[in-house]
Amino acid sequence: MTNGSTEANNMRDPARDSAIAGEYVLGVLPEAERRTAEARIASEPAFAALVSGWQSDLSVLDEHYEEQNVPPVIKSRIDSRLFGDGREESTGIWASLAFWRGLAFASLLVVAGVGAVATGLVPFGDTQTGGGAPLVADLTGENAPISLVARFDPAGNTLRVIPAALDGDAEKSLELWVVPGDGVPVSLGVVPSDGGLIAIDKAISSEMKAGATLAISLEPAGGSPTGVATGPVLVVGALAESK
Amino acid sequence: MMTSVSDDKLGELISRIALADRDAFSALYAHIGPKLFGVCLRILKQQAIAEDALQEIFVKIWQRSQSFTTGKAPPMAWLVTIARNHCIDLLRARRPDPVDIDDAIALADEAPDPEASAITASDGRRIDKCLGELDADKAKAVVGAYVEGYSYQELAEEYKVPINTMRTWLRRSLTKLKECLEP
Repeated sequence: MTNGSTEANNMRDPARDSAIAGEYVLGVLPEAERRTAEARIASEPAFAALVSGWQSDLSVLDEHYEEQNVPPVIKSRIDSRLFGDGREESTGIWASLAFWRGLAFASLLVVAGVGAVATGLVPFGDTQTGGGAPLVADLTGENAPISLVARFDPAGNTLRVIPAALDGDAEKSLELWVVPGDGVPVSLGVVPSDGGLIAIDKAISSEMKAGATLAISLEPAGGSPTGVATGPVLVVGALAESK
Repeated sequence: MMTSVSDDKLGELISRIALADRDAFSALYAHIGPKLFGVCLRILKQQAIAEDALQEIFVKIWQRSQSFTTGKAPPMAWLVTIARNHCIDLLRARRPDPVDIDDAIALADEAPDPEASAITASDGRRIDKCLGELDADKAKAVVGAYVEGYSYQELAEEYKVPINTMRTWLRRSLTKLKECLEP
């Protein structure tokens, strides 16, 4: 871009950084510089704070956006994308926050046994209605602070994550990725801090098949701002048929 | 037309969505769908593209709701930021070559409404006061970039200056704005 020579400068000029953060929030940056700014948001808390400051300052301008009528069909398309065929999610114990919290508290000790639990002893909600067999992946890593079991339900396009002891760092999120055949990881979203349910975008669900790799990386709070994993990959595991 | 729902209510809904509460998701959609669709239409200009974008934005809201509970931004600003970022990413990805002006937007016609700016300024808030301290052209460029999602290339064309000059203008304007906002 036009200022390529100065981008190479290692010195961080606070006034210049503030201007870049402002340019990012305004949205004027070309795509490559936009991605660079997002990488800095992920890796430089001071820069991320500048961006937050600009977002706060400029959000007053949101008043310029007037409400517009949304075609009614859009909501059902969104529901279809997120939840499949409009079927209600099963609720009960697996949707209970208190249950997840209790389990998360205890789970570091029992995580070795979770694999067995995940493969049939515990109800995961209705997985028997069409769409193929559920797939399970044990996600582990050497010295990883977490260990998880993920179970994908093709019928509901949902991924249930068995909670394990997360380190509770509110500044960080755990982001789940599927690595399809072509090797480019696709984000499945941030793992809720208590484990639980992640709705899988239908466009991605075709990648959720036996042999595909699931991975969890440590990301800034809210997940990778760039669309690619920016933090260390903590755990990986392959999806396999659960029976 | 302003939305009447309070930030407290929105925050509660987002927190419930983080727990996979679909009723809360539907309620949030009912409250802020029109506002976020306004963002999509304003930035993307085309109905079909804006409709697709709105879907993607609500998928992101569902997926990122957990991160909101630990965040600090006011809910409406957080939601609009997701929408703006998505739309601007679409625009930038769509026009990787800044010289490509095949479907050029009619910048003059779509420029921010000066009357709307004047109404905002009359509220006397700090950002408006500080924008008011910039040259009118430059304040308009800042607001246009934010609200319409204009790129540097588009701004340079509208103001008939080289792109480098436009960038220098805008960066200086941002620096002055920040000095005014945080003296």
